[in-house]
Amino acid sequence: MRTPRLAMILFVCSLFPASVAQTEKKSSAGQALSVAAVSATADTLLREGQAQWNQIAVKRVALNRTPPLFDTDEPTTLEISGVDVRVARVSGNLLVQLSWRDPTQDAVTLAAVPDSPPEIRFRKVQTEANDRFFDAAAVMVPAKPGARAVYPSLQMGDADDPVEIYYWNATRGAMLMQAQGRGTTKRTGQGFPANSVYANGQWNVVFELPDLPTGTPVAFAVWNGSQKDRDGRKYFSVWQVLE
Amino acid sequence: MSRHQYAMVMDLNKCLGCQTCTIACKKLWTDRDGTGYMYWNNVETRPGLGYPRQWDRIGGGWKDGALQPSPLPTMDDYGHPWEYNYEQRLYEGKKQPVMPSPEPKFGVNWDEDVGGMNEDENYFFYLPRICNHCTYPACLEACPRKAIYKRDEDGIVVIDQDRCQGYRYCIKACPYKKIYFNEVTGKSEKCIFCYPRLEKGEVNACAAQCPGRLRFVGLLDDPESPVHRLVLVHKIALPLFPERGTQPNVFYVPPFNPPKRENYGKSILEDPRLPLDYLVYLFGPDVKNVITRLEAELKKAQEGGRSEVLQLLIGRDAETRFHIRPQLVQIQT
Repeated sequence: MRTPRLAMILFVCSLFPASVAQTEKKSSAGQALSVAAVSATADTLLREGQAQWNQIAVKRVALNRTPPLFDTDEPTTLEISGVDVRVARVSGNLLVQLSWRDPTQDAVTLAAVPDSPPEIRFRKVQTEANDRFFDAAAVMVPAKPGARAVYPSLQMGDADDPVEIYYWNATRGAMLMQAQGRGTTKRTGQGFPANSVYANGQWNVVFELPDLPTGTPVAFAVWNGSQKDRDGRKYFSVWQVLE
Repeated sequence: MSRHQYAMVMDLNKCLGCQTCTIACKKLWTDRDGTGYMYWNNVETRPGLGYPRQWDRIGGGWKDGALQPSPLPTMDDYGHPWEYNYEQRLYEGKKQPVMPSPEPKFGVNWDEDVGGMNEDENYFFYLPRICNHCTYPACLEACPRKAIYKRDEDGIVVIDQDRCQGYRYCIKACPYKKIYFNEVTGKSEKCIFCYPRLEKGEVNACAAQCPGRLRFVGLLDDPESPVHRLVLVHKIALPLFPERGTQPNVFYVPPFNPPKRENYGKSILEDPRLPLDYLVYLFGPDVKNVITRLEAELKKAQEGGRSEVLQLLIGRDAETRFHIRPQLVQIQT
């Protein structure tokens, strides 16, 4: 496993200037991401605000495809080259909309599990498929928000600079995670408000985050279920800095 | 490697394919939502398709220190669990016959007793399978979440359900396809070698219930245990597919079947009813030596002598077959 990990680090470093390629971190001369102040309520933007979202400046953020992480991974191609990002600050919250083209909607409604414990039920809910993966997206922010000289590692933060990951899955919903380095991501058990619409071959997903101060770096990821994406097999952006 | 290692030996000569072990396991561990198709313990007819279908030809395991690729088995390879329309027939007064739904197309033990043909003679035997709790688990190496670990105190390989995210790299990596994905919980599950029972001094449920008394359990590194004697002293039990590189800790006494019809008295190696190539395929080339040893023990007993190996394999009582010593494997604090 050591060789693919090294390849991964080298690949990520290759995205940055040569002067910082020795480490996984990057100095804070980042890519700016403007934050709009809007009059609409957070709930409107979350639930039904596409008209409002359309008035907010959009930034096309390039997505990169992680190289194969394991020797046994099947080869993969870049099918989603970028994600459209809109950010709005509304009454103490930061709302982020990610929009991307994806011809296949990889999402299902899983059968509801009854409240009664399985041992007293004759019928159990069954696993319908074991080889399907679902579309997903995430917004990663430093656990300690604010401007900084050095960003957290793009690979799920690091021990000095942990991250919080607002993860949305087309089938399993929104969940907040924490991490301090690759392989350390864990669920907090908490959710967060999110909403998603799939129409005309496009996902529009809105994340509601707590407000973050100007200068805070944020990064985005998209998983394409039809490409069997999960884990580090995904699309990712470099850090974007809130203006 | 772990400090100690629990192991199991199964004597395939004694397995009658009754599936009592399968049911013992299922009732205890996989009678939950999302686990219908899971058989942490299954018994399959060999030669045959196995469960999941053709698992032995899919891939996974190690070669030259590297994990080997494998596709993920699909539900078609397990068979979709079916239910019967009892409610409609019994309570709603509908006249239609009781039928399964969805239509069964494959399932566990699907090709029971079909076996194969050796010239004009049919042959088969049963192969009970659980997780091998390997010394070098490919599943553990494949998990990017570090959700799988091998317990240092007893070598049992388990999946931390809090860390598992259901990525299913482990299922691909396991050359025995003994990990199952639960879509209801979004996590993967596997045989836990009944560690909660072992910790209380009770043997695994599959072994406790086995009417054929073919399962032996104990610590491989405990000279008192039957598995130590069968595997390391008498050298008559072999792991399945040793060339896959994971070093399983479940061992099999290979089927010592009679020679072909009208050849009574001949050695199995001379005229085996069960083609030797097939046993070599399953257990590696050492299976010939094991059969030679077993044959010598049998001869000794037939000539009126006493064979310690055969006495052990008969395994009359639980004390002979099981050597569960929770105090030996306590976590040192």
